Amino acid sequence: MVQEAQQLSDSELVAAVLRKDRKATAEFLSRFGGAVHAYLVHRLMPRQDLVEDLFQQVFLEAWQGLESFRGRSAVKTWLLGIARHKVQDHYRRRLREVQFDEDAPDPADGEDLMLSLEQDETARGVWQVLASVDEAPRTLLLWRYWEGWSAESMASETGKSVKAVERALARARTQFKQRWYINEQRLGGYRQ
Amino acid sequence: MSDELYFERLARESEQEPGPDAGAPARLLSQTYSALIKAQQASGPLLDVTATKAAGSPLCVFEELVQITPAGQQVKQMFYCSVCHARILAENVDKAPIWWPHCPYSAFQK
Repeated sequence: MVQEAQQLSDSELVAAVLRKDRKATAEFLSRFGGAVHAYLVHRLMPRQDLVEDLFQQVFLEAWQGLESFRGRSAVKTWLLGIARHKVQDHYRRRLREVQFDEDAPDPADGEDLMLSLEQDETARGVWQVLASVDEAPRTLLLWRYWEGWSAESMASETGKSVKAVERALARARTQFKQRWYINEQRLGGYRQ
Repeated sequence: MSDELYFERLARESEQEPGPDAGAPARLLSQTYSALIKAQQASGPLLDVTATKAAGSPLCVFEELVQITPAGQQVKQMFYCSVCHARILAENVDKAPIWWPHCPYSAFQK
């Protein structure tokens, strides 16, 4: 019995792509493209050009490595792993270009963020505010908190001192908070 | 709560699994599909349209014509989308007006 590509299991689909079945290749992209795209958008926003560039790179690298894919993890997990490497390569390159001022004073902490993250609306707000933060501090925040890298690892990957990375992170957090309050005031204004 | 812990929590709680209907833009899928097929062709021919149909995938009207033509395997291994208007539209226009049945570029629009 023959099966359309949409009905194939993930492992059957991988086998069909390896046979260079054009329809299976289209289904592979349709099936996994959404998850890869969503991940890249969250890590690289608002740089749509980068999202598109890395999206293509992920699938081209997946094709090159598909023969050695042994199915130890789910296909989606494997693809997201490739995407994560691509994003971290980008963060590394981007932050190497930026000068951090080690002697800059720590910014004042300001008010605590009092967010109720139970609401979807608030989670969306976090992404909106992150997108409004300048590129270098946004990259630092994403790498440190969303990708879970330590300041020490980030320092060693970018050739900076730990102190410089920590200071830059403190300034990035402050910028995030400032933008958060501006965003809140703007929304508050609309709500009234 | 320290800033450090707060941002860790912020990241954890704002991270959401993409929903089942999360999709990549059709234009990007189309461009990536063409690039993938090109990469596949770089290491040898594609599966021919007769074998593709036998494997269970319906062909578009143009591929079907090639499939029934008494031509050699080489002809049936070619990627006809590379000269098709549907590909050009899909790679360049969001919500491209293409509705050919069993056309991958048309399917990406859904």
